[in-house]
Amino acid sequence: MFSFRGCGRRVAASLTKQHLPLVRFSGDSAASWTPHFDVVVIGGGHAGTEAAAAAARCGSRTLLLTHRVDTIGQMSCNPSFGGIGKGHLMREVDALDGLCCRICDQSGVHYKVLNRRKGPAVWGLRAQIDRKLYKQNMQKEILTTPLLTVQEGAVEDLILTEPEPEHTGKCRASGVVLADGSKVYADSVILTAGTFLRGMIVIGLEMHPAGRLGDQPSVGLAQTLEKLGFVVGRLKTGTPPRIAKESINFSILNQQTPDNPSIPFSFLNETVWIKPEDQLPCYLTHTNPRVDEIVLENLHLNSHIKETTRGPRYCPSIESKVLRFPNRLHQVWLEPEGMDSDLIYPQGLSVTLPAELQEKMITCIRGLEKAKMIHPGYGVQYDYFDPRQIAPSLETHLVQRLFFAGQINGTTGYEEAAAQGVIAGINASLRVRHKPPFVISRTEGYIGVLIDDLTTMGTNEPYRMFTSRAEFRLSLRPDNADSRLTFRGYKEAGCVSQQRYERASWMKSSLEEGISVLKSIEFSSSKWKKLIPEASISMGKSLPLRALDVLKYEEVDMELLAKAVPEPLEKYTKCRELAERLKIEAAYESVLFHQQQEIKSVQRDEALQLPKDLEYLSKDVSLSCEVREKLHFCRPQTIGAASRIPGVTPAAIINLLRFVKTTQQRQAALNELPQTDHCLCDTDKLEERQL
Amino acid sequence: MWRGLLTLVARAARGPLRPCTRQGSRTPVPGSGATIFALSSGQGRCGIAVIRTSGPASGHALRSLTAPRDLPQARRACLRLLSDPRSGEPLDRALVLWFPGPQSFTGEDCAEFHVHGGPAVVSGVLQALGRVPGLRPAEAGEFTRRAFAHGKLSLTEVEGLADLIHAETEAQRRQALRQLDGELGHLCRGWADTLTKALAHVEAYIDFGEDDDLEEGVLERADSQVRELEVALGAHLRDARRGQRLRSGAHVVVAGPPNAGKSSLVNLLSRKPVSIVSPEPGTTRDVLETPVDLAGFPALLSDTAGLREGTGLVEQEGVRRARESCNFLDVVVNPAAGRSPDGNSQRLVLVLNKSDLLPPGGPYPSPDLPPHLLLSCLTGEGLDDLLEALRKELAAVCGDPSTGPPLLTRARHQHHLQGCLDALGHYKQAKDVSLAAEALRVARGHLAHLTSGGGTEEILDIIFRDFCVGK
Repeated sequence: MFSFRGCGRRVAASLTKQHLPLVRFSGDSAASWTPHFDVVVIGGGHAGTEAAAAAARCGSRTLLLTHRVDTIGQMSCNPSFGGIGKGHLMREVDALDGLCCRICDQSGVHYKVLNRRKGPAVWGLRAQIDRKLYKQNMQKEILTTPLLTVQEGAVEDLILTEPEPEHTGKCRASGVVLADGSKVYADSVILTAGTFLRGMIVIGLEMHPAGRLGDQPSVGLAQTLEKLGFVVGRLKTGTPPRIAKESINFSILNQQTPDNPSIPFSFLNETVWIKPEDQLPCYLTHTNPRVDEIVLENLHLNSHIKETTRGPRYCPSIESKVLRFPNRLHQVWLEPEGMDSDLIYPQGLSVTLPAELQEKMITCIRGLEKAKMIHPGYGVQYDYFDPRQIAPSLETHLVQRLFFAGQINGTTGYEEAAAQGVIAGINASLRVRHKPPFVISRTEGYIGVLIDDLTTMGTNEPYRMFTSRAEFRLSLRPDNADSRLTFRGYKEAGCVSQQRYERASWMKSSLEEGISVLKSIEFSSSKWKKLIPEASISMGKSLPLRALDVLKYEEVDMELLAKAVPEPLEKYTKCRELAERLKIEAAYESVLFHQQQEIKSVQRDEALQLPKDLEYLSKDVSLSCEVREKLHFCRPQTIGAASRIPGVTPAAIINLLRFVKTTQQRQAALNELPQTDHCLCDTDKLEERQL
Repeated sequence: MWRGLLTLVARAARGPLRPCTRQGSRTPVPGSGATIFALSSGQGRCGIAVIRTSGPASGHALRSLTAPRDLPQARRACLRLLSDPRSGEPLDRALVLWFPGPQSFTGEDCAEFHVHGGPAVVSGVLQALGRVPGLRPAEAGEFTRRAFAHGKLSLTEVEGLADLIHAETEAQRRQALRQLDGELGHLCRGWADTLTKALAHVEAYIDFGEDDDLEEGVLERADSQVRELEVALGAHLRDARRGQRLRSGAHVVVAGPPNAGKSSLVNLLSRKPVSIVSPEPGTTRDVLETPVDLAGFPALLSDTAGLREGTGLVEQEGVRRARESCNFLDVVVNPAAGRSPDGNSQRLVLVLNKSDLLPPGGPYPSPDLPPHLLLSCLTGEGLDDLLEALRKELAAVCGDPSTGPPLLTRARHQHHLQGCLDALGHYKQAKDVSLAAEALRVARGHLAHLTSGGGTEEILDIIFRDFCVGK
């Protein structure tokens, strides 16, 4: 056993010289503490909590290491969850029994589905969340999760051991070294350090090292990882100032009211914890030319904007908006931070000007004339690892059993972090149990799109989910995330509860039955016209029309249809969700039919697996230098993934085919093995040992 | 539900065919459920040309072209009259073969049409196949991919084929460049740009329309762009004369220094006065193209301006065009001594003209010169040797079964432009914005087959360039 503990560690240790008491909180009182865990998760943010909970759900004894237990579940930036694309990710996290949807259903203060008029495939579930409630509820959940132990401590280093010969990678992660020198051993390690890796906070011309405000940055760990050969990049992000609620003149601003009724995030919930009339409104205001002036006059006082660290193509800060789209009024949403919070979060006003200028800028905005700034906005610059260095299971290529999730992979947003967290947690647990990884294809979910994009193309701006990234958008809808993922989660990963599995099964069979019944009911269009006079059914066709076709009309829903044909349709209106989902399936039926064919062909390419230890740089792979290097770095696991790497040509793909391991071929190879008594004995023994 | 959809698809893949205009959209995905067709034999004059199909609609295609007769006995050659399924017009009397899967080259249902090799017949059959619902032209390497996917190729066979596929894609790239150089290419790129922008704006409306501020009228602008595009595409497809006639045959460029006799050579090879000839250097200022029959191969012969630093603006432009045309040619005939023109990776025949000016008995041109031919355009001496050399080069270019035949390229153009137009029709009818965007995605996928590009990043680039979004 050897440990990569470089000299940099000491320097880092002096920076973080703050002796934290070793406090352990365990949800599982029966499990006595032992220094050896199945899975250790570093970081208690949105990726870390989901990863730890998922690993524990899968049956692994899990340790969550965090700087401070009271920051678990902290929403360090915007006080909202979900949105277009992000809401899709959340539904998929929920389908795998992840936490964030259920916590949001208990902690929201303003629930609103975006894109209501643009079709159910792009509905964006979104809510303003009470920060305090979210944290409370998340901590309660994490601290009572069976098999999950929580410990405070700063991680300084990884314990690295000899690699397992049957896997690629130069060494194996076997645990972590804490700041006080103590060690924790683990079979898998998940790193979710967020912006803590060499994080720098920027306000005006001031810069100081930190993770989030008030937390310690992890420098030692960053150096160890860099020494191992991980390619590191630098990204920047920002957050707006916080404003005192009572200092805002809301009466002159546009109010946005929440939905009535509220739509819950989780498949398990029928309603949310709070009635619509008790929810808080949001308000809309706009910037004006005076804001532009202040930004432009003070660019010399704004090092975050001058820095070359790559920012996104989109406009993350008010400065970038003013610089790239001058002479426009920009939206500022005033969002509540919680039920009893005195703070307002001005969404759209991320800024890194010196604090006094921020206040000056705020007070020239309508409604904010007398606004009091409580905290200034600030920028964060941080390290991220080029995500092409991780496999779709989120395990790193370089270090066996080390998984990366969340912002350190170059993503932004709670939802993107949570999605990776669940996948890392599941796979860390599967790895310990020697089971094949749980990979979601981009044909199966936004989680698949996210991870496939990251691992094949990398990113040079904080990666955020948009529905435009999903080529099978009409199939990957928020309504059907359970039928896409819950069964796989239950069977392959074991991360889904029995209750959820049964509910998803019931829904699936009801939908299948409902659709076949809707297909079986056929009348002439004139008869339909008589039955449902409200519908503008075209009379031109002489062919009989199925009930499913009638349900496609915008003005027809299951209730209307069941009124016309009570037997056998009435029973499908009893469950609101079922009725709505039948309507959605009908609306997209014909397009989904075509999309299914494309999905199948993509999946066929994804079934063609490339060996993990394929030496792309060796001579017997006849590829161009450029293609070789790309493949060597990204290590695509399937022909499908390889074909999506920019610059990999069709000819290169054909060339790779000869290395493909299909299940059929593996099976054939197995059959060819001589089946002697000796062999059988060996397998028997192996099984005995495992028992 | 999910399972229900899957069985539906499975049934449709084999069962009665619905008009399916949206297959083969977006990036080419080999091994997909669509039925593909391609000219499998080499291009050029040959006795028999073999056209092959693979996929579930192969049987349907065979019956459509030989209708109303039944499928021939499996794996037995059989003489049939081929006719266009739409017009009923007879195309050729041909040998047809029917290979029901899995006992076929690709493991899928396959059909082969052995037709008489003339370009008109081949083109007619390819176009007729393109009109059969569910059929589309094959992408590079697609037959191979399918054969591999069905376990019909061993690993060593794939290895051997990889080089061939490489040649194939390279040839297709050149072919595509050549096609896109002309007016049609210009049109296609314009359409693709318009469509990408319209799609980006619709996508922006979906992803940012509610939370961020987009200006008013984003969707309306996209609507009107799509309408214009639809009109333009419709007109193009209806009017066969519109746009450039697709060039067919190998591309032979005559290039070299001024006054070397390039135009005289072109006139000699084409047996008609294509180019004006004069003793004055720089007479030819533009690229002149003429279709010719060279040693039995169809070829497009280009005369170019002499390569020198031109004196006038017009001549400079001529020289630029000459250099450019060397970038997508198959054979360069360089009737002069000295350096070869740019883009020298192509096949090159070095010809030294005006051999009649050489004094009898020597001195001969320097032995340091690369292999060359002597020719006199004036006396015709050396012409036979040149034709023989060209025959060899063209045989190498045209006889290679992997080069993309222009006839197939034409079928591809028609197929994808029609697919694009059909998808734009769906855009108009779409009930919600996500369905409308899907129609545009399909339409853009078709154009991307002709112009390359078509990724998501391109869309995001436009969104972030045109709109102030993000937080």
